[in-house]
Amino acid sequence: MVARLEITLKSHLFDAEGASLCRKIRDYFGWNPDRIRVVHILTLDTGLSIDELESVRREIFTNPVTQDSSFRPLAKDFDWAIWVGFRPGVRDTAGSVAIEAISDYLGRSPGSGESAYTSRLYLLSGDTLEREQIDTIARELLANDIIQQWRIYARSEWNEEEGIGLIVPKVVLAHTPTVAEIPVPSDEALMALSRERNLALNPQDVPVIRNYFSRTEVVEARKAVGLSVPTDVELEAISQARSDHCNHNTFRGKFHYRDLATGESQVVDNLFKTCIEAPTLTIQRQKDWVVSVLWDNAGLARFDEEHNYAITGETHNSPSNMEAYGGSLTGIVGIYRDIMGTGKGARLVAGLYGYCVGPRDYAGPLRPHLHPRRLLDGIVEGVRDGGNKHGVPTPFGSLFFHPSYLGKCLVFVASLGIMPGKILGEPSDQKCPRPGDCIIMSGGRVGKDGIHGVTASSEIYSANTPAGHVQIGDPYTQKKMHDFLLEARDEGLITFITDNGGGGLSSSVGESAQFAGGAYVELDKVPLKYEGLDVWEIWISESQERMTVAVDPSHLDRFMELSRKHEVESTVIGYYKGDGKLQLAYDGRTCAQLDLSFFSEDFPQWQFDAHWLPPESRGLQEPVLGEPRDYTKLLHALLESPNICSREWIQRQYDHEVQGGSVVKFLTGRERDVPNDAVVLRPLLESNKGLAVSQSLNPTYSVIDTYDMVAASIDEAVRRLLAVGAVLEEIGGVDNFCWPSIQYDPVQNPDGRYKAAQLVRANWALRDMCLAYGIPLLSGKDSMYVDGHLPGEFGERHKISGLPTMQFTATGVVSDVRKCCTMEAKIAGDLVYVLGNTANELGGSEYYDLMGYVGLNVPKVNAEAFWPLYKALERGLASGLMASCHGIYRGGLGVHATMVAFASHLGMILDLARVPRSSTGGMQLRDDQILFSESCGRFLVTVSPSRQKDFESLFKGLPYALVGKITEEPQLVIKGEGGGILVQEPLALLKRSWRQFTQVDAD
Amino acid sequence: MSPVRALVLTGFGLNCDLETAYALKKAGAEAERVHLNTLVAREKNLLDYQIFVVGGGFSWGDDHGAGVIMAMRLKHRMKDDILGFVEGGGLVLGICNGFQVLVNLGLLPGFETRAMKREVALINNDCGGFRDQWVHLAANLSSPCIFTKGIDKIELPVRHGEGKFFTEPDVLARLEEQNQVILRYALPDGGTAQGEFPHNPNGSVADIAGICDPTGRVAGLMPHPEAFNHWTNHPDWTLQREIVGRRGGDFSEEGDGIRIFRNAVNFFE
Repeated sequence: MVARLEITLKSHLFDAEGASLCRKIRDYFGWNPDRIRVVHILTLDTGLSIDELESVRREIFTNPVTQDSSFRPLAKDFDWAIWVGFRPGVRDTAGSVAIEAISDYLGRSPGSGESAYTSRLYLLSGDTLEREQIDTIARELLANDIIQQWRIYARSEWNEEEGIGLIVPKVVLAHTPTVAEIPVPSDEALMALSRERNLALNPQDVPVIRNYFSRTEVVEARKAVGLSVPTDVELEAISQARSDHCNHNTFRGKFHYRDLATGESQVVDNLFKTCIEAPTLTIQRQKDWVVSVLWDNAGLARFDEEHNYAITGETHNSPSNMEAYGGSLTGIVGIYRDIMGTGKGARLVAGLYGYCVGPRDYAGPLRPHLHPRRLLDGIVEGVRDGGNKHGVPTPFGSLFFHPSYLGKCLVFVASLGIMPGKILGEPSDQKCPRPGDCIIMSGGRVGKDGIHGVTASSEIYSANTPAGHVQIGDPYTQKKMHDFLLEARDEGLITFITDNGGGGLSSSVGESAQFAGGAYVELDKVPLKYEGLDVWEIWISESQERMTVAVDPSHLDRFMELSRKHEVESTVIGYYKGDGKLQLAYDGRTCAQLDLSFFSEDFPQWQFDAHWLPPESRGLQEPVLGEPRDYTKLLHALLESPNICSREWIQRQYDHEVQGGSVVKFLTGRERDVPNDAVVLRPLLESNKGLAVSQSLNPTYSVIDTYDMVAASIDEAVRRLLAVGAVLEEIGGVDNFCWPSIQYDPVQNPDGRYKAAQLVRANWALRDMCLAYGIPLLSGKDSMYVDGHLPGEFGERHKISGLPTMQFTATGVVSDVRKCCTMEAKIAGDLVYVLGNTANELGGSEYYDLMGYVGLNVPKVNAEAFWPLYKALERGLASGLMASCHGIYRGGLGVHATMVAFASHLGMILDLARVPRSSTGGMQLRDDQILFSESCGRFLVTVSPSRQKDFESLFKGLPYALVGKITEEPQLVIKGEGGGILVQEPLALLKRSWRQFTQVDAD
Repeated sequence: MSPVRALVLTGFGLNCDLETAYALKKAGAEAERVHLNTLVAREKNLLDYQIFVVGGGFSWGDDHGAGVIMAMRLKHRMKDDILGFVEGGGLVLGICNGFQVLVNLGLLPGFETRAMKREVALINNDCGGFRDQWVHLAANLSSPCIFTKGIDKIELPVRHGEGKFFTEPDVLARLEEQNQVILRYALPDGGTAQGEFPHNPNGSVADIAGICDPTGRVAGLMPHPEAFNHWTNHPDWTLQREIVGRRGGDFSEEGDGIRIFRNAVNFFE
């Protein structure tokens, strides 16, 4: 019987959910509904009797203090009603929790097919709203048609007896699972099949695949298990394994690089090997704290004698671009699973975020699937629920606006974990499934969600991209699994573990079979969300919250016992074997058999032409720009700019203190709202050792040269870590590349060769900087195809390519957290120093951007010159010489000195004539250049006058200068080169500008 | 003398268990993290402990109301144990999600323990969403509450989306009269927040951040004392280090939040 339970707040209570929606409607559209009340609907498709329904209504789903509920419609007093519910098959965690609760309450297991569906009814009051506006609110704010359905009712259309009726979004697949045999008589036929089935096969791979299936020994072996032509299961498995997302074909490609200005050319064979693997291995040999790199789900580095920490990062761009909330939520819980599947499993200690989106107030003619404002709200909320509900702090992150991200947004997620170095005496970083071990799938069930996710993110987003790969993560289920797996790990029950992310079982079992030497999987054993999935779908589905675990048969009973205790579903779906084959069966019949050696077969290397033109040759130049007169106004304008202004509204929504180890928080200062350089955690509460982490990205520098973009970003991430007290010798890095397509096509991608050269140069910088600073790349990921085709106002489509972007995450161990430093000035009378030289480097800067220019002089990194200064800073912080320390980043000295000052509630006097500058170039620097240049290698520190002598002797011979003083009066005074006062402004006013566009959290 | 035994509940999306157990240990207890199903299966017995803490987290994802489903499961599977524990003189502390659980379980305000009646609620923050911030709290020195004994004010972080304390005027009057309100959101100078955001971060009626039962042995609060277990948890610690350091002073490394747990341990000593 289907019943619809409606629950709402008692009418005299303030409806915070409705009030938030009113604010969003004002913010998004400028309309003013008088009031919104929300009715929560639970549609129960169960065998419950009337009496049972009534008792679960009363005992579980209604709070007698605050709520009214009924199986009859509750809506009254409204002008418009909008019902929003999920489409069939979309993950509805609250629905499944309801079934769990009902079964628990009634003391019986749920009957097969019993399910519950949650939805909402929004009741809007306001007689000025027209149907068209209501339609916009439904489509552009409340629902996303990819995952949700909605209905709109005017008051006059409302049936008080029926309400919305009984809507049951049950998945019904009237389909008997089959295995199709697909002859591929020619390369053309296989390519056609690839297009038809969205296999995204590379044309170069096609002959290799066909050749494999025609080999005599392969044909014979297949015959023995009843196979002849390739099955759909096999072709889908190959497509998944060969996708760029899983295989990194681009980074492993061969680049024919040519500098068009000089005519010099060279072949760059395999960026991954030459620029990531080689430097990291070199550094690993020098640094014994680098424990495990380049092969596992995350890298491992030593935290202390008994523990290692794990770190990794990736992006979840394509799904977030289509379904912002579900995409980013799936992204953050997905990166958590990488940590859970590192070594024999690590405990999560932090998650990080980075968002690159189009302008928040974009009002141009292009029509992205989701407007940047809504997209940003959605991704912010997705990461919020993923982190908070998982009990993992989200202590740090970034946000960058640029019109180039209108085509596809970037959602960076990273996470950190910690694990004992040994489990029952065995090294925890090593794992290898053995033939005979059971293959166990733990966690969620498999559905149609996520089919073709990896192949879709290996393509440019177009009107034909299948929407089926959008999913909604379930942190609740995953948190239970996290706790369960750690307990199993500590009892020594786990031989091998990895997560089911992109590619699903195909990827997790396929890759682990390589270690064991073979695997046999019975796909009919895999628990499904609903019947009717085809066999190939079970194999490649990316349904979330699943791990693949290898367990020795002698440990199976205990493993299952723990699984039951935590109420996590675990199923033996097969076993590892040693015959070199991956064999899949369904209902006792083999439906796929592939030699493991096939996956490492000689697939042709992808080839790219890479043509570089230096910025001068591309017509870039320094702007002809006179010196501004009103510096105060200019400073206000920069502080207000979208890429500088306050992001407190994001960080406040994230639990950044759970686990009790917060040492240096992202939001600092007396009002606790100014971003600190990095954050520091105490992952082991018994210890005073800390783990510092920072991130940086500088995509606007890519317009000039991606080499400098990467170099500046790594230098920034390093300085951010140093500023809190991490040490230079123990910094680990994670590179996350997001790049537009680099495959040249005269029509579709005419500048592909230039973008390929940009990628090569970026990798060169990565290699050079890692070697210069001694940073091993503990982990990293690349995401290509950051392009979108957006409809314009005349029905035409525009290709928008994202700026080449690399986010760098840096980690470091802090030996004693009590010595950590924060960025805000502390005490009046303290001296202000600038460390490091300022040069005329405003290319790609926030200042030039404000003026509408790009410029040419991009900031350069001279690691060798910076090194001694960084070492001195490290010593100074260790001996407590500085009261505050802050790097100078985007926006330059003007912006960052202001932030140091307004975070302190004190004042600052700054004398530009004293700022140290580089002697090269011979040009005198103007006041605006000193204030807004984004030269690397610089810090602003404050020092107690009593420590002046010690401090200055430490920096003797290095570029540093005493440039000012912290004052009692909370104002900023900047003196120019000529001695005149450029700025004299109360810091409260400057801060107000900086906070102007921050979202108001409450009315 | 045998150590005071504390049980920290785990499972089903509860978190904060590691730091809560750590804080109890710092306070002198022998703390154990125990999964709900281990208690339900009687592999461990609640009555073997003296302090029972339901900590923060998102039990059952907080779908259908924060703490609701955990409360239902406790009520239906462990009612006698819980009542026996409370009536036998044990201490119960609910923090954040745990406070929501105790309120839905009806142990709080607990005018009559055995009635297990829901009379107050913790609902969506007025600001419309989850918030992590530090708050100033004024404690009620006249309260019978064991946990806040001797504490007049304290700073702690709040981290919740459903922390607005709500009840009808008659219940509120009774809570006030019986000194069952233990903590209120306050201004930095110690005065009550009078509903002013963000000092009162969620719109709680009468700035209420925590309450206890009439015996003072069962208490719940939205802020997280276990998250102030170390001096460096406080947002201003680097400033304090400069001020005190220049005077040649020194610090206790312990965070103020430990006091709440120590009160519980001392109750048995």
